[in-house]
Amino acid sequence: MTVEPTPKVVCQNIWKIFGPQGQSVIHAPATQASKAEILASTGQVVAVRDISFAVQKGETFVVMGLSGSGKSTLLRCLPRLIDPSAGHVLIDGQDIATMDQQQLRTIRRHKMSMVFQHFGLFPHRRILDNVAYGLEVQGMKKAERQARAQAVITLVNLQGWENHYPGQLSGGMQQRVGLARALAVDPEILLFDEPFSALDPLIRREMQDELLSLQEKMQKTLIFITHDFAEALKLGDRIAIMKDGEFVQVGTPQEVVLTPANDYVREFTKDVPRSKVLTAQNIMQPALTASVPGQSVPATLAVDDLLALVATTEQPLAVVNGADQVIGIVDRSAVLRALAGMVPLSLGDQQ
Amino acid sequence: MSTTTQPFTLVEPTPKRDLRGLIGLAVIVIGALAFMLLHPDPVVFPPSWNLHLRDPIDSFQSWVIGHRATHPLFVYFFNPFSAFIDARLRTLETFLLNLPWPVLLVTLVAVAYKAAGRRVAMLTLVSLLIMALFGLWKQSMATFALMGVAVFIALLIGIPLGILSARSPRFELVLRPVLDAMQTIPAFVYLIPVVLFFGIARVPSVIATVIYALPPAIRLTSLGIRQVAANTTEAADAFGSTSWQKLVKVQLPLALPSILLGINQTIMMALGIVVIAALIGAGGLGLEVLTALRNLQVGKALEAGIAIVLIAVIFDRISYGLSQESRDAIHHAAQTRAKQGQTKFSPRQANLLYWGGVIVVILLLVIADRTLLDLSTFPWRFSIRQPIDALVLWMRNNLYQIGDLPLGTGPFSDAMIRYLLTPLRDLLLIYLPWPMIVLGFAWLAFQAAGWRLAIFSALAILCLGLLGMWEQSMDTLSQVLVAVILAVVIGVPVGIGAARAPRFALIVRPVLDFLQTIPPFVYLVPVIMLFNIGRVPGIIASVLYAIPPIIRLTDLGIRQVAPNALEAADAFGSTSRQKLFKVELPLALPSIMLGVNQTVMMVLSMVIIAGLVGGGALGFEAVNGLAKSQMGRGLEAGLAILLLAMVLDRITQAWAVGEGK
Repeated sequence: MTVEPTPKVVCQNIWKIFGPQGQSVIHAPATQASKAEILASTGQVVAVRDISFAVQKGETFVVMGLSGSGKSTLLRCLPRLIDPSAGHVLIDGQDIATMDQQQLRTIRRHKMSMVFQHFGLFPHRRILDNVAYGLEVQGMKKAERQARAQAVITLVNLQGWENHYPGQLSGGMQQRVGLARALAVDPEILLFDEPFSALDPLIRREMQDELLSLQEKMQKTLIFITHDFAEALKLGDRIAIMKDGEFVQVGTPQEVVLTPANDYVREFTKDVPRSKVLTAQNIMQPALTASVPGQSVPATLAVDDLLALVATTEQPLAVVNGADQVIGIVDRSAVLRALAGMVPLSLGDQQ
Repeated sequence: MSTTTQPFTLVEPTPKRDLRGLIGLAVIVIGALAFMLLHPDPVVFPPSWNLHLRDPIDSFQSWVIGHRATHPLFVYFFNPFSAFIDARLRTLETFLLNLPWPVLLVTLVAVAYKAAGRRVAMLTLVSLLIMALFGLWKQSMATFALMGVAVFIALLIGIPLGILSARSPRFELVLRPVLDAMQTIPAFVYLIPVVLFFGIARVPSVIATVIYALPPAIRLTSLGIRQVAANTTEAADAFGSTSWQKLVKVQLPLALPSILLGINQTIMMALGIVVIAALIGAGGLGLEVLTALRNLQVGKALEAGIAIVLIAVIFDRISYGLSQESRDAIHHAAQTRAKQGQTKFSPRQANLLYWGGVIVVILLLVIADRTLLDLSTFPWRFSIRQPIDALVLWMRNNLYQIGDLPLGTGPFSDAMIRYLLTPLRDLLLIYLPWPMIVLGFAWLAFQAAGWRLAIFSALAILCLGLLGMWEQSMDTLSQVLVAVILAVVIGVPVGIGAARAPRFALIVRPVLDFLQTIPPFVYLVPVIMLFNIGRVPGIIASVLYAIPPIIRLTDLGIRQVAPNALEAADAFGSTSRQKLFKVELPLALPSIMLGVNQTVMMVLSMVIIAGLVGGGALGFEAVNGLAKSQMGRGLEAGLAILLLAMVLDRITQAWAVGEGK
């Protein structure tokens, strides 16, 4: 275990309650009551309930939940587009709850920017001016901000569309504009509010892949909201499953799929093909000797990709870690057992 | 989870209100009968109950007249304020009049072309030429100047107030009832206090016009800003815009089409009271119409009326064109159009070239005026007065009574008075004792909206008597009811027809557009040609003025019925008639009731105008009060109109809302 650096974003005990006297519910003994009970007894809607988490620099943290789970409200508490009823949000250790409007604007202008579900583009501005908006409100000179916007437009493959208006673009292209607008200010943190849910499936996959490759280059801190479990698995370094304003489970995609915390999470994981989530190291058996004769595979290789290999050889495969040391073996029966759902391991003792 | 485990119970709708309503009606009838039995002569509103409101007003008026030159309030506030506006107005008027006439022509046509295209430019050209040919150039310029100043002031106040009310819910909360009141009050009513403080001249007309034309500027600015999509403003916030940046860079540009529509409405409202403003010294075309009507010179009145309509049409089309243009710019149709056009010049260069050309032409005209030609007055004349006057004479001789038959406008008018107006007035005034009318209104209001409105209505109707205007109010009420009934009886079938027959709608809609562009006063001219003066022409003019909303809203209501409801009706084998009565009309009822509400309010706003052509009653009292400088009497009549308007507005609005549920 390495020493963890200071997290980029920390949320401590965030509450958001809609309705009169939101504070009273938090401190009342009714804290244990369910969302529906609080609504019935006080008329207040608990949207976010005592949520804490930390996101490291360069990490992609996905919050997955169905509509009404409070995930969008939670996201809006970070730049205080919605003021949380209680709790703290620390950006690089600075508490934004105590900031005045001026400081808050500085954070929004330079540190974090957001990509919206329905794009939130300005219909009266050209693509170039949409992308340059964040720089414009910072007070940057016209020539400079247009040059920077131009560079970002090229980054998201929209060159040639600068002088068009958002209404002239397809949904997928509009969201590229949304992404470009967020990237133009070169923020450290990017917030995504279900950015791809309004797109059709093929475009959505294309955008996901593009985001992954961009993130590989940029190494920004991403906080991503979605209602699509598959999207969460694909993009997230860690996933939080949210229900009724609370996190039901937080973990890596594998942890969530393989050890769902309760039936609610299990419902989502049911249709996920295990062979895509499980990797060699999840299903390997201890190597009895330090050297294994057969082929070697990296520990992070998905079971899906192991299939072809074990189909062609009876020999067990050596599983090697990043330093090329053998940490275990995988054979045909282990792969078949994994596909059959008979996973032998406990995830707790991997690494 | 507790909610789902509860047993599902069917709640019987209780017919409570209906029962209470019937009990209420019974109480009213019994009460009225008892009243009639106890009092020997219960019909007349007791004259001793008159509050004599006019006395303090009249004495205040004479105090104002006596102290206008001496009291500091006038010497240091009202008079200088008045003088300031008057001076600006005069400057503008002189400027417009001293311009060679082709200059204004070229400018307006150029603006029209840029804002709304070739057709509107042609329309503008022809309209201005007609005004000039009629010899009304000077009057038109006076009306332009007055309207221009009034609209400018209205926008100067209205747009910032609109912005404020969009951004501050608390301010909106205060402003909304004020705006509602401003729009409920017939324009005439606030002429009276304005005249009281500013006398009779141009300035009070400007102020009255500003007050009248202000609400749409405020409302549509506020609406435009509030209609900006929430995710757009949220995005602006998320990128750290200041409040001012958000307003200037996002909200105002996106609200522009709506704001321009507000400007359009403001101009139309201002034109709508040009004639009424003439009553307090606005001059211009309004005065022309007014004096011509008073002297029954129909031809002259028609010419001036046409000039007003032409101004209204020009400004309506130009400002509407601007509003559409800005909408297109936001939705980028203009952008694509510019692409397809592929000219040598960029849009900006083309614009510069266009306006440069216009300025050169204007300069040439000015130079020509100074050196070679005399362009100060329009040289040609063409008048339609004589043929119109001849036509009126002919109509009076031939249409008023066709042969010896009981046909023609005269017998029609007589029949309407004998069988509709007089019986209704007598019913309200003689046969029904006044307390029964008060309670009757209370009962209607209770049925529509409950106790609070019932009490309000009863008190308001009672006040009609306390103002000493009971008799006139009942007379006016009878005329209003007849006009509303006529408008509904004609308007609803026409609306149904328009909704069901697209070809019929193609004819109806432009007619409605035209009727709504014409300032209300102008309706009187042709109506007087046919019906002479009296109560009937006033009612017919009111019906013409007030019928567009009921037609439009019936049409709209039926067309908005969900297609799947119609499909279901068809699937069950309804005939067209069954579909109309069992599905379309019931579903369109809220919309129709809203139309009735608007029609009632528009008829009420015509009461004063009807008073000018012999409608008598409250309108006559109000006009006479102003004309003879009897403020007290005018104010009493004005208040009575206002009270009637408030009661009828609330009750019909409550019906519309009630039907909507």
